[in-house]
Amino acid sequence: MLQFYEKCKKAVIEGDSDLALKLATEAIDKNKPVLDVIEKGFVKGIEEVGRLWEDGTFFLPELVMGAEAIKKALSLLNPILSDQQTKGFKKGKVVIGTVEGDVHDIGKTLVATMLSASGFEVYDLGFDVGVDSFIEGADKWGVNCIASSALLTTTMQKQRGIIEKLKERGIRNKYTVIVGGAPCSRKWADEIGADGYAKDAVSAVTLVGKLIGGD
Amino acid sequence: MKKITGVRVSMNFDLKKLLDEKILLFDGGMGTMIIEAGLQENEIPESWIYSRREELFNIHVKYIEAGADVIQTNTFGASSIKLSSSRAGAMLDPEETNRKAAVIARGALERFKGRDLLVAGDIGPTGRFFPPVGSLSEDEARDTFRRQARALDQGGADIFLIETMSDLREAVEALRGVKEVSEKPVVVELTFDKKPKGYFTLMGNTPREAAEILEREGADMIGANCTLSSNPMIGLARELRAQTDMPLLFQPNAGQPVLTEGKTHYTQSPDDFAEDIERIAREGADAVGGCCGTTPEFIRKIREKLEELGK
Repeated sequence: MLQFYEKCKKAVIEGDSDLALKLATEAIDKNKPVLDVIEKGFVKGIEEVGRLWEDGTFFLPELVMGAEAIKKALSLLNPILSDQQTKGFKKGKVVIGTVEGDVHDIGKTLVATMLSASGFEVYDLGFDVGVDSFIEGADKWGVNCIASSALLTTTMQKQRGIIEKLKERGIRNKYTVIVGGAPCSRKWADEIGADGYAKDAVSAVTLVGKLIGGD
Repeated sequence: MKKITGVRVSMNFDLKKLLDEKILLFDGGMGTMIIEAGLQENEIPESWIYSRREELFNIHVKYIEAGADVIQTNTFGASSIKLSSSRAGAMLDPEETNRKAAVIARGALERFKGRDLLVAGDIGPTGRFFPPVGSLSEDEARDTFRRQARALDQGGADIFLIETMSDLREAVEALRGVKEVSEKPVVVELTFDKKPKGYFTLMGNTPREAAEILEREGADMIGANCTLSSNPMIGLARELRAQTDMPLLFQPNAGQPVLTEGKTHYTQSPDDFAEDIERIAREGADAVGGCCGTTPEFIRKIREKLEELGK
């Protein structure tokens, strides 16, 4: 069994989507414990990819390929999981987008990909997203966390706008609000009253895990 | 891909010779200046080529007055692919936008007859990625850059500056696209970050790899801009110089952007920045300038330093 988990992990590290899909199919066919396959196999892989990214061994292509591989596997395993377990692998729901007036969506998409690769249910609103759309989306999908990205100092004020609007409607405590993007910082998050800030996609996963995932 | 021939060649200067004589000073941030002058939320910097032409002209003039030898056209995001990615950009005709921007810069030069000044046709990334990260194809990339270069050339650019490239492959397609339509000099700057294991682009390209491939592809000068502030750029200058004899250009950021009371500030002062630039020059840079957060004041300080150096 350990060897099987190891294969799953390796498929993600090597960014091999076909192999990940094949292993996921095998897990289902052979009735393997799906939650363990995910957590001791595929997730270990994406964690290792994250570590290799942080230490400068992996770059964007490897990160994206690793995330794609685990997403492929999860697309098969997650539906099975909800049948097998009462508490699924799904860790929490996140709505994410790049704020209004800002079209930079590479970093945001990467965060969305890594979050969903790590088991969060992610609703990606894309870029140029108005404050109201974030809140409507959060309400519609019943998310735990609202994540916004801003790449310009001119548009980062919209991140404050999200929090102000939530306060205005008296629902600030309903959501965990996090921010990211090049001009953002921990200090900025504190200044506008956000719950957290992450500098990149890998640390965003750690942050969201801490804040809503029960990690 | 069809090779375009019959290109106008009107080079009355030799970039290599120019670089032998002096350290060439490029200008500083354009976006920074435009934001400061009041960029609206529904605009992109290129919108101003139509709506606030005078303001753009004045920014160029300010940089020349501060001592810049080379001014960059306001076309960082003006490739057809990049323009089509935003609502404000999709309204602009790519050819007309690039041509007009070069004409505006050319016009600013007219004010300073007697000085040796150059217009660099600025070319930034498409904002899209090649597989496996994205779906951009090499043909699409080369085509968009070829179109941009041709329009910049028609508008009167003297040289081309391909900049802020985080993927060496995209930089190469841009270089090839430009060279298909013009014989004017081409400068290519990648954007590197400092990682625990050295300097890398987002895609993992190293300075060595960049130098080797860009030289082979026929770049006239290579270098680095954006992401890094002036201090870590010194180390990159040293590393790149160790890899190649080619002319080198460095344009760092003025530290990191910080927002206080709704206003953007960068963490570095013009004096600190100019001191680092002097060290970059000592590491063997042939040309220097600024990127995000730098203003005419930064360029003025660099000019003073270069004069002290006798460059």
